[in-house]
Amino acid sequence: MDDLRLLREMRAEVPDPGPEWLVPARARLLRRVRAWHLPRFGRRLLLAGALGGAASVVIATRPHEPGGVVRPATVRLDSATVLRQAAEVAESRPRRAVPRPDQWHYTRTLDKQANDDSGTTQEGWIRYDGKQTAGYGEDGRMHVSDVPPDPGDDDLSPQQYDAKLRRLPTDPDDLLAHVSGDRHWIDLPVEEGVKKNVEPPDARAFRVIFLYLERHVVMPPKLEGAMFRALMRIPHVVVDKDVADAAGRRGLGIRFDWGADPGTLSYHILDPRTYRYLGSRMVWVRDEYVEGDSTPAFRAGSVWATALLASGIVDRPGRRL
Amino acid sequence: MIPEAPPDRVDDAELIQRSRRDPEAFADLFDRHASALHRYVARRLGASLADDVVSDTFLAAFRKRERYDPAQPDARPWLYGIAANLIGRHRRTEIRFYRALVRTGVDEVAEPYADRVNQRVSAQSAQRGLAKALAGLSAGDRDVLLLVAWADLTYEEVARALDIPVGTVRSRLHRARAKTRAALGGDDPSATSEEPLHG
Repeated sequence: MDDLRLLREMRAEVPDPGPEWLVPARARLLRRVRAWHLPRFGRRLLLAGALGGAASVVIATRPHEPGGVVRPATVRLDSATVLRQAAEVAESRPRRAVPRPDQWHYTRTLDKQANDDSGTTQEGWIRYDGKQTAGYGEDGRMHVSDVPPDPGDDDLSPQQYDAKLRRLPTDPDDLLAHVSGDRHWIDLPVEEGVKKNVEPPDARAFRVIFLYLERHVVMPPKLEGAMFRALMRIPHVVVDKDVADAAGRRGLGIRFDWGADPGTLSYHILDPRTYRYLGSRMVWVRDEYVEGDSTPAFRAGSVWATALLASGIVDRPGRRL
Repeated sequence: MIPEAPPDRVDDAELIQRSRRDPEAFADLFDRHASALHRYVARRLGASLADDVVSDTFLAAFRKRERYDPAQPDARPWLYGIAANLIGRHRRTEIRFYRALVRTGVDEVAEPYADRVNQRVSAQSAQRGLAKALAGLSAGDRDVLLLVAWADLTYEEVARALDIPVGTVRSRLHRARAKTRAALGGDDPSATSEEPLHG
């Protein structure tokens, strides 16, 4: 009797998955890896809520293991003072012209993953109306590609971001209510078959405000001031001094404090004089394991940092700032 | 976003390496392996759990991609190893399916596709014997047996997938097959000697 042959025939009728699973599953994976990495700067922040749910499936921390905890030394600042100052500086900025739809938003970023010393510089162009993206390929040539519409995506074109910003209230309380309850950032992105995380309204307000601060092209000065004043009204917003981005630039590290025992600390970093967005820094406080592994995927003390090196409008893809 | 220039085939290690700079390259790894992995997991847990397990496997793999051994051109052992951990979370479900098959003769996992092949009468009793054996194996023995029988991995690949020595693969497989044969009713100790894998 050939037990292996019989076993190979058992359930042999189970087929390969069809396109009804493969196509959306591939799209979802792409969305998640883009969110995790960042072909466009800050993409992962948009998905932080959705990703939290996905990642929690496979990530387990072992809080009781000795030596697995590193708490970075930080100097905490009075957040109200810092944010009020930021609001005043922002409100005094000059107004900027609205770009034409055929102009391009150029960004250059530096991404330093936890296991990577040198970091990766990426640059890219997206048409202001979002219809095309452009970048230099591995062959050194410029590639321009059309962006297919993805109605389930939460990301917006630069033009859509700016249009959204122009509609936002500039009263800090109204603004806070708006960013806490905006269905766009609650319902999207659509991920078929994935349970949505319920994000606390405070955390969502924090996330969305920094999304706007990071990704805007044209930010009305009064609105930017209101954003900092709205941040003052969100509980658990912490400001630490001298937090470095991926390029080593030190600034004000602002984070939402999730409470007693976070696995990581995630900062948005602002320039200490201009209060413009510099980058982000995530610090692992505890060893983080991918389930089933005996060695941590990320050791306590690991850092993942980004830096927004350039962001602005140019006339043609290939032009830099 | 940016169209890749030449479609010439690179190995998995190269793809994973590439995905460190260009995360979208990871979708190519999905195209290569998701179907077969899904079928393997579906044979153990049913299609609907397989949907989740395979999705989570690729996401976990992406997060661990910087630790992939670039000397391994084939990523299957790595992916099946990650999947093995996730499958392990559903051990009760897996065993419940085997036990139901033993009890009722109906296999809930294969039932939805029953019209795809000619049901062979002789297979019926064998199925129940196999299910009985599979339900009774330790998790480690079952992983080895099914990676060989259903995922077509070699001993060396199973060893890499489960991060155990090849000798352990041999001994687990030996033990698992002895139990399987016993459950099938042909308890012939001489038949437990090693057999060629793809014979």
